Amino acid sequence: MYNFDTSVILESIPFLIEGIKITLFISVISSICAFLIGLITVFFRTMGSKPLKFIAVSYVEIIRNTPLLIQLYFIYKSLPAIGLMLPPIGCGILALSLYTGAFISEVLRAGINSVASEQYQASISLGLSKFQTFRLVIFPQAIRIIIPPLGSQFINAIKNSSLVSFISVTDLFYRVYKGAVDDFRFFEFFITGALIYMVLTGTVALLTNIFENQFKIQGRTAKA
Amino acid sequence: MHWTDIAENYDFLMKGLFITLKLAMVSVSGSLIIGIILGVLRYSKLFLLSWFAVAYIESVRSIPLILFIVFIHFGALPYLTGEPSSFFVSACVAFIIFTSAYIAEIIRSGLNSVEKGHIDAAKSLGLNRMQRLTYIILPLAVSRMTPALVSQFISLIKDTSLASTIGLIELTRSGEIIYERTYHETEILIFIAFVYFVICFGLSKLSALWETKPYMCTEHREPVGANQ
Repeated sequence: MYNFDTSVILESIPFLIEGIKITLFISVISSICAFLIGLITVFFRTMGSKPLKFIAVSYVEIIRNTPLLIQLYFIYKSLPAIGLMLPPIGCGILALSLYTGAFISEVLRAGINSVASEQYQASISLGLSKFQTFRLVIFPQAIRIIIPPLGSQFINAIKNSSLVSFISVTDLFYRVYKGAVDDFRFFEFFITGALIYMVLTGTVALLTNIFENQFKIQGRTAKA
Repeated sequence: MHWTDIAENYDFLMKGLFITLKLAMVSVSGSLIIGIILGVLRYSKLFLLSWFAVAYIESVRSIPLILFIVFIHFGALPYLTGEPSSFFVSACVAFIIFTSAYIAEIIRSGLNSVEKGHIDAAKSLGLNRMQRLTYIILPLAVSRMTPALVSQFISLIKDTSLASTIGLIELTRSGEIIYERTYHETEILIFIAFVYFVICFGLSKLSALWETKPYMCTEHREPVGANQ
């Protein structure tokens, strides 16, 4: 039977907490940036002119169809070649924002498509501009439908943030791995790491549920 | 720019691509089998079985994949077998454990998407639970699950790049080996990204063709599940 030693974990709690802070910092900042990127690109895709639409669609398709690890390496290793020096953590945030932003753009587009097109025609006939239609009519209806998938994108952002450890950011995964290798205690450190990630993502899932109930309009059921 | 690097190392990169595809095929077959079992368990009315499936699915879905890969390669498999694990086997085991949870979710929502009317009609024809599942629910559910399953497969192909971190020489790692020697990262990374893009984008376009087919669907519906 494996000799499970909790003392090595207790000793390295401060070390791991530092990592949780970095993981949270990266995932929160990139989630916010990704949401903004998603909003801008979905506005381009649904209401922009042809070239803007083309740019937005190619951005989303290129990002969605290539691995995050490659994008991370590309930003970390190739941007200095064109004279843009970012610290590793900045590279991580940039890559994760771009990656999550593409997925959020798809989520938002699905939400916007689920709003009936009569609403769009009605607001145009009332004399609202395209941007006003988007902001005042479509978006408030769409946001209620997209809260659950948006929440799962934020959860993915937390999980994907573990990859920044490969560009030398000392996040939670890096510290779990380092602790495991240094003490040769894989089971202890990895189970602790898994539990911490479960708590982090579980919190986001819980918040998503609360928001969903908060924004629910009485007597209306959102389309799946 | 040094694009000749790619031509010079073309065979090496293609060998990596072959490993990537082999890894993806083995993992997707394994995770389909386990995912279907878990999905049906979760759909079942037996409390203990569905509870086990929920616990497995929810815990796997909230842990990063890289944690599984590294833990299985350096921790779990060497402990269980008593000898160092091969890169390919550990990567496969990790991908199967991880992806089967997502596939189980897709299977379950596909099963749930079958209208109650169909099930009631089958009941009134005197089919028992097993017959309803094999003749009515599964054929309907499978056609609706296909887009989500394809997008999960695309996710898996992208995720195989993580196997490079434990040292498996697949597409990403073979690219790394080349640019660690030549220091021309940009060209190699663009080429690798292009290869992944062609495979994944091609697959997603193929599945979009399938979606537009009115195959066994009486009405248009959103594909169940979502790409990761």
